[in-house]
Amino acid sequence: MAGAPSVDAVHQFLPSFRRRDAIGMHTVAVQKLVRSMGLQSEIYAWDAPAADARGLGVRDYRSFARRAGASRAALLYQLSTGGPVGRYVLDRPEETLVNYHNITPARLLTPWHKAVGKELDEGRAHLLALASRARAGIAVSAFNEDELRSAGYRRTAVAPVLVDFDALDSEVDVSGLDRLAGGKPPGGMDWLFVGRVAPNKCHHDLIKAVAAYRRAFGVPARLHLVGAPAAGSYLRALHQLVEALGLKDVVNLTGSVPPGLLAAHYRSADVFVCLSEHEGFCVPLVEAMRHRVPVVAFAAAAVPETVAGAGLLLRSKTPLTVAEAVDRVRSDAELRDFLVRRGVCRASDFDVARSSARFAAVLGEALGAA
Amino acid sequence: MSAEPLEQPGPEIDLDRVRAEIDQEVRRKRASGELPADLERELDLVFARFAPVDAVLGDFDSVMARVDELTQIDLVAPLDTTNPAVAFVKRAIRKTIRWYLRWVASQVSGLGHALGKAVRLLADRVGALEQAVPPPGGTVAREARLAGGEPDLSEWESLLVALLNDAPGRVVHAEAGHGTLVARLLARGVDAYGVEPVEALAQRADEEGIEVRLDPVAAHLRALTDGVLGGLVLSGCVDRLPPGSLVELAELAAAKLARGGRLVVIGTNPSVWGRERDPIGADLAGGRPIHAQTWRHLLEARGFSDLKVAEAQASEVRLSPVPGSDAGANVINANLERLNELLFPPRAFAVTGVR
Repeated sequence: MAGAPSVDAVHQFLPSFRRRDAIGMHTVAVQKLVRSMGLQSEIYAWDAPAADARGLGVRDYRSFARRAGASRAALLYQLSTGGPVGRYVLDRPEETLVNYHNITPARLLTPWHKAVGKELDEGRAHLLALASRARAGIAVSAFNEDELRSAGYRRTAVAPVLVDFDALDSEVDVSGLDRLAGGKPPGGMDWLFVGRVAPNKCHHDLIKAVAAYRRAFGVPARLHLVGAPAAGSYLRALHQLVEALGLKDVVNLTGSVPPGLLAAHYRSADVFVCLSEHEGFCVPLVEAMRHRVPVVAFAAAAVPETVAGAGLLLRSKTPLTVAEAVDRVRSDAELRDFLVRRGVCRASDFDVARSSARFAAVLGEALGAA
Repeated sequence: MSAEPLEQPGPEIDLDRVRAEIDQEVRRKRASGELPADLERELDLVFARFAPVDAVLGDFDSVMARVDELTQIDLVAPLDTTNPAVAFVKRAIRKTIRWYLRWVASQVSGLGHALGKAVRLLADRVGALEQAVPPPGGTVAREARLAGGEPDLSEWESLLVALLNDAPGRVVHAEAGHGTLVARLLARGVDAYGVEPVEALAQRADEEGIEVRLDPVAAHLRALTDGVLGGLVLSGCVDRLPPGSLVELAELAAAKLARGGRLVVIGTNPSVWGRERDPIGADLAGGRPIHAQTWRHLLEARGFSDLKVAEAQASEVRLSPVPGSDAGANVINANLERLNELLFPPRAFAVTGVR
């Protein structure tokens, strides 16, 4: 049983804050949770655009020393990459907790963006360096917890990412939904993937798979890729690939979209296909399951754990295997219903109230053990 | 829209079975020609044209094809812009400096062709070398690995548990086969996982719920952060790798084990290797086992302490003594005993050390 917290504040640090990405939403939810525990809590970041930080009081991390005053604070570091915030946290004397969202292996990004690769390597170095001094490591998945333990963290626990999926279920953009429905050819099929356009998410494999599906099965499928670009050269290569394969009217790289249009995409999708090489959790999988979209996914990293038997997991992602799997979901109504039913059930496991209770227990345990 | 957890129950479906059916269907369609044979290769090649060379997992020929393609320098720079004035300026610049670019490009192309040719010549020589001495990760090495099957390490179990149960971190067993030793270590409270380069074996472990990662041993260790492991058990690969790779394993063990981390090298006695067990593996291997004393030497030089050598039980096959106790019988029996030691020494050894 945890004792009373030995601190009166838990301040969060993260390299980059975006209001609508998974870590950003999680950080805000954790702040609310910590405050509800009667502790002070502020968010400190290095890169926080004004539009994202507005109204949430996200501060520059360098102002922490000046603001901290005499409070007995613990630092909760939202670790997902390297950068100056990690170095800063390492140098601080306060008790530190690590909330680990996983670090993409640099080998997946370095060929496309060397600087990002270096940052990821630095993140791994921070993960290791913090192992000996962090009071505990909180992982958003068992896959991540395994990495924490491999890195030498003695006290670890799993608490899911805190995302209020109900709040994300905004009103569907009706005109967007009409556009999507209207553009769908008769007998066609809409594939969907949601996530940053980054090499580790393997959008190129999705494009190859949809090309193979159209050629081998003759189904006029479309592929909607929703998400903001992270590496410019990768996005350029995707556009070139689409053009070279003659799929300009088939593959829709939307960029970042407003919540209503995102909901429209989920609503109109026939299948959610994820061929990511590396995911520490993958929030869009949960969103897809909530929206009753059957999931076909490559069984990499934390994906099998997030899906947990509610999606069709593939051991191989060769284009023809993916195409065959998607076609099976299309043509087998019983399988599709099963995946939808299981998906809705699995998504309910990530109910924010339940996840918050778990996070509060883990955090309280870690703080009480000071 | 929100989730509705209260769903009507429906029939259960075994997704593993569905996946197996999908794989089988793909195999069947490929074999029958129903699915285009070259489609996937074609798609890979198209993407490879736009991706950085080191982002695409390709064989030598694909990479060289890319080199040839890149050697042809395109002098017609794109004019993409929404502003007609800018497009005009770009077109004018392109036209003006074309003679100059052509001159530079012809020299760069020539250099590219020459380098490509040099690399191909080098590849031919490497190919000849690989035929003479199979590389550690090649096809022959894979055959050597598969010929040996799953070695029986049960006699080392107690030693391993005693040594590893308070290891300062996770323990890796490499090569782990289909995870028998990993499962035994886990059952006895050691936090272990395995590494195995052969997909069929790693997959079998996966099906049995044992964590065995599909990776070449050295590549897996190289990818780990320094000082992250609590223990490392090396077996199998240490019998077949060439000396350079064994030295690298010793260095990786020193780098990747935490202070106080435990290393166990389970090797086959070189004098019995290929004689009593796994002759195919022995014939095809690129290397051969080294003596326990050599491991000791390598590890000591790399900072390991408390080094000990344990020997497996001697073979039960022995030359029987002649009956009688007269002087002649005693001489013969003494000689037989010496022959027994030479012919039937312990088959294996374990070298243990602490980082």
